[in-house]
Amino acid sequence: MTALLDRPATDAPPGPSRAPHPFRVELLRGLAPWAGLALFLTLAWALIAKSATWQGSWSETTVALRMAGVMLGGPLALAAGCWQGARERRRRTDELRASTARGPLAQFMTAALPLALWVLAVYAATVGAALLACAPYASPGGLAPTVFLSTGAVLVACTLTGHVVGARLPWRLTAPVLAVAAFGTFGLSMNASGVAGLLGPIPEYAPDFELLAWWHPLLTAGWFLSLASTAVLAHAACRRWSALITLAAAATTALVLSGTGDTMTHRDPRAGQQVCTTTTTPQICVNATRAALLPEVTKALSGLTDRLKGVGNLPARFEDLPRRSHADEAELPTLTPYGWTVVRGKIADHDRYAWEAAMQMVEADCANPQAPGRVEIADRAVVRYLAPTDPQDSMREHRFESARAADDQAELRRLTAEQKAYDHLRTMSTADRRAWLTRYFAPADRCARTESEVPAL
Amino acid sequence: MTSFALYARSRALPTTLAAFAAATLFTLWAATRPETYVDPQRRIPLLALAPLLATSAIGVSLHQYAQELDRTAARPWWRLRLAHLLALTALAALLLAMAVPGHSQEFGAVAMVRNILGATGITAAAAVLVGARLSWLPTLLYFGAVFLSYSAPHLRTATVWTWSMQPGPQRAAWAVAMTAFVVGGALYVAVGTRRERERS
Repeated sequence: MTALLDRPATDAPPGPSRAPHPFRVELLRGLAPWAGLALFLTLAWALIAKSATWQGSWSETTVALRMAGVMLGGPLALAAGCWQGARERRRRTDELRASTARGPLAQFMTAALPLALWVLAVYAATVGAALLACAPYASPGGLAPTVFLSTGAVLVACTLTGHVVGARLPWRLTAPVLAVAAFGTFGLSMNASGVAGLLGPIPEYAPDFELLAWWHPLLTAGWFLSLASTAVLAHAACRRWSALITLAAAATTALVLSGTGDTMTHRDPRAGQQVCTTTTTPQICVNATRAALLPEVTKALSGLTDRLKGVGNLPARFEDLPRRSHADEAELPTLTPYGWTVVRGKIADHDRYAWEAAMQMVEADCANPQAPGRVEIADRAVVRYLAPTDPQDSMREHRFESARAADDQAELRRLTAEQKAYDHLRTMSTADRRAWLTRYFAPADRCARTESEVPAL
Repeated sequence: MTSFALYARSRALPTTLAAFAAATLFTLWAATRPETYVDPQRRIPLLALAPLLATSAIGVSLHQYAQELDRTAARPWWRLRLAHLLALTALAALLLAMAVPGHSQEFGAVAMVRNILGATGITAAAAVLVGARLSWLPTLLYFGAVFLSYSAPHLRTATVWTWSMQPGPQRAAWAVAMTAFVVGGALYVAVGTRRERERS
C-alpha cells in the first residue's frame, strides 16, 4: 500500500475523463435548446408584429409581454415538457432508469429543469429586449415587474406539469392535445369574469387607467407553481404524501386569489391628471400617463394654433381626461390605443390629427349633430381653414363631381355656398378674420347655436 | 387481419379518427352556443384550435414505426402517402366545416376548410423536415403567433401573412393556404417523413 502511495503521480496511467454532469448534458443537448429557440422565434414574431401597439407605454408593454409569454410560451412549455417527459417510454429506458441509484425526484428534476431554465432564460431575454425597445418612447410609470416574475413562474409550472403528463400518458397525441387545450383554456380564462378570471394566468384589467397591485402577480405565480409542484411530487417523490402539503398551499393561494376581486387593481393616479402647454391658445393638454407625447401633439397642432393666434372666445384647452369636456374645453382627439394615431412616439398623420382637433373645437360632441344650414356652412369653412387636409379636399371634389353627374341642384348649391364661404374666410384680412372667428366662437353652448348667432360669411 | 386493417393500426388511424370526432364535437358545441352563433367574431378561436387539433392528428398519423422495413416493400409508397393525406384532410375538412353552422363566409365553414388545408400543408412539410411525431409543433407556433398578432394595425389587411385569421373568401389567404397544402403535401408524398431514430 505504501509503495503505491509513494509512487510518483506522473507515472500514473491517465484515467478515464470525468463524465459531464447529466444536468449539463440535458441543458446543452436534446430538446431544451431547440425549445428555447422555438420560443424565441415565436415570441419575437408576435411581439415585433404588434410592436406599434406597445412601444410607447410601459403598461401596454407589460400586458403584451404577459400575454405573449403565457399564450405562446405556456402551450409550448407544456408540449415540450410533455415530449421530454415521455422520452424514457419512447426510448424504452424507463425500467433502466428506475434501476439507477438516484431517486425518481432527482432524476425527474435533472430531466425537467434544463428545459424550464431554457424557457425561462428565453422569456427573460425577450422581456429585456422589449423593455429596451419601449424605453425611448414611453412616459414614466405603469411598469409592473412582478408580472414578468409571474409569467416566468407560469412557464416553469407549465414545463413541469407537461413533463408529468408526458411521463404518465406517453401517447403520441398527448403533447399537441395538451398544447391546444392550454391555448383554449388560457384564452377562455383571460376573458372570463369572476373567480375563473382571477385564477387564470392573465387576470383582466384596464391598463389605460388602472395599475395592477404588485402582490397580485406573485399570488398567481404561487398558485401555478404550487399546482405544478403537487403534480411533480405526486408523480416522482419517494414520499408521495408530501404532495398534500403543496396541494394545501395551492388551495390556500386559490382562496386568497379568488377573494382579491377589486383589490387586484387600483386607479392610476396619473390618469386623472394632465400636462399642458402654456404657450398656445387653446392650451394643449395630454393625459399624464402619456406625458412624453406633449411635444409631438403640440407640433401636430402647431398649424391650427398658429391660425388661431389673436382669436378670442376660444376653448381654454384641449383636454385629455377620462371624462366629458367642460363647457370651456374641447376634447383632444384620441391618442390611444397605440399603433393607430400614435406610432412609436410620433403622430402618424399630422394633418388628419389637426383636422380631428378642429372638428372637436367646431362641432362639439352634440346629441343632435345636424346644425342649421348656415351654421353648418360656417363650421365647414372654419374647419377647412384651420386644418386643411388633402383627403378632405379630394372628398369635396368627389362630391362636386357626383352632384354634377347626378344633376343634384340642391347639393350643388350647398357645395357652392361652402366653397364661397371658405374663399371669403381665406381672403379676409388677418384682422378681419380674427374678429370674425372671435364672433364665431362666442356662443358658449355650441350644440344649440342658431343661424343668428353665427356671423355671416 | 387484412392489409388495410394492419396499415390503419400501424398509422394509429383509430386515434386519428377519435381526434377528428373530438375536435368536431367540441367545435359544434362551441359554435352553436347562442352568443357564438350571433357573433361570427367569436368563432375565430375555433378556427385556430379545431384545425390545430385535427392536423396534429394527421401529422402524427404519418409516423412509420419501421421505416427501414417499409422501404423494402415492392410497391411504390407515394400512392399510399397521397391517398392517406388526401383522405384524412378531406374527412377533417368535411367534418369541421359542418361543425360551424351559420354564415359561411364570415369566419365560418369556408375559413375552416381553408385553415385545415393550410395547416395540413405546414404539418406535412414539418413531418418531412422534423419528423412526424413533432410535425404539429411548427403549425402550433405559427397559428399561435398569428392569433396573437393579427389584430395589429398593419397586419389586419395583410392577408398573406395572416391568412389563417381572415374571415373567409379572401383570395390571397386562399392562395397561401392552397400553396402550403400543395407544396407540403407534395413534399411529403415525394419524400416521406424524416427518418427518426427508433428510440429518440
